[in-house]
Amino acid sequence: METQSEEEAAAEAADSRGEGEPPQVAGAQAPRPEDRMALLLRVRAQTKQQLLEYKSMVDANEEKTPEQIMQEKQIEAKIEELEKEIEEAKIAFEMKKLALDRMQLSSALKKHMEKINTKTSVLMDNMKQILSLNKSVMKSQQETRDLEDKLLDVRKKRLQLKQASERKLFEIQTEKNKQKDDLGSMENSGKIKTVQQNLEMEIQITTVIQHVFQNLILGSKANWAEDSALKETVLQLEKNLTMIQ
Amino acid sequence: MSVLRPLDKLPGLNTATILLVGTEDALLQQLAEAMLKEDCTSELKVHLAKSLPLPSNVNRPRIDLIVFVVNLHSKHSLRNVEESLHHVDATFFLGKVSFLATGAGRESHCSIHRNTVMQLAHTYRSPLLFCDLEIEDFRATMAQRLVRMLQICAGHVPSVSALNLLSLLQSSENPSLEDL
Repeated sequence: METQSEEEAAAEAADSRGEGEPPQVAGAQAPRPEDRMALLLRVRAQTKQQLLEYKSMVDANEEKTPEQIMQEKQIEAKIEELEKEIEEAKIAFEMKKLALDRMQLSSALKKHMEKINTKTSVLMDNMKQILSLNKSVMKSQQETRDLEDKLLDVRKKRLQLKQASERKLFEIQTEKNKQKDDLGSMENSGKIKTVQQNLEMEIQITTVIQHVFQNLILGSKANWAEDSALKETVLQLEKNLTMIQ
Repeated sequence: MSVLRPLDKLPGLNTATILLVGTEDALLQQLAEAMLKEDCTSELKVHLAKSLPLPSNVNRPRIDLIVFVVNLHSKHSLRNVEESLHHVDATFFLGKVSFLATGAGRESHCSIHRNTVMQLAHTYRSPLLFCDLEIEDFRATMAQRLVRMLQICAGHVPSVSALNLLSLLQSSENPSLEDL
């Protein structure tokens, strides 16, 4: 099912070419020569564009499509490549246009400058203001850079101090460890062992002598509880001399 | 021949033809009227069709732009569009086809998810437009947009071609769903 509707023509309806084009709608204004001219120019532009489209289609059809069946991913990759090429071409074109515009602008500016009185024009005022602003921008940028340098120096110093303190603490730790090791090794050394052995022997000798005195006193059947010195000697049995160690 | 080809006929002078394909007759009619109300320097011709293939006995001008209208409220319209897509030549999809989804305003009635239509548009590398054709203001705006697109696709705008427009439209769309 299909329906069709046509637009009621506007003022440029009646075609001046007139070949086979039926008159559009009764009541259209008589075509003025400017409108006819405009229509002609427009149709000319349209025909050019359409010709371009047809040409590009013909060119596209002449290109050989690959016969083998490629994977869909490969096709997509190829499409992306081609799109990238298109984008690059567009960008190159834009850059060239920009460069041309710039050249045109500079040449127009040069011509303009040659004509005017350089002291009073607005252009010169603008330029002077631009220059002064640039100078202040550069100055502030320089200040920023100096401040940043200072900040950097302070940070470096802090880092150095941190490193120094780290070293010192490390030294302290190694000293402590050395002391502990020394102490440990000293205890295990032979000197202490001999000293300890001597001490033990002395203690044993003293104990034996004590026991001898005690037995002497007991054997003599003297009343040792009355004399304090004798009492002390006998009661030393209780003290275990090995606990002195 | 049941397959529509884009450049098989010569263009009419100062004429641009658009083909609206969709199951909703009333909406298409209203959209067509809105488009014809737009003032445009070229002559506009609007053809309406329920589905492709078009009957071959009618003498019709070269079609410059096909718009497939999908109503998000009915799965039937989507299926209809999918079947009609088989009757369109591949070269048409170089910028001369567009999808229009209507009815997205009333979420509760939507039986087709937005993503389905987006996937369809992405498969065919064509632009997808959303518009509630029942609201007159939106319809008028969409008609304006379609008229501009039609002018470009018919070659009436110098230095812009349908392919150009397609690549312009594509770069601003969301990244494809597979990339997400």
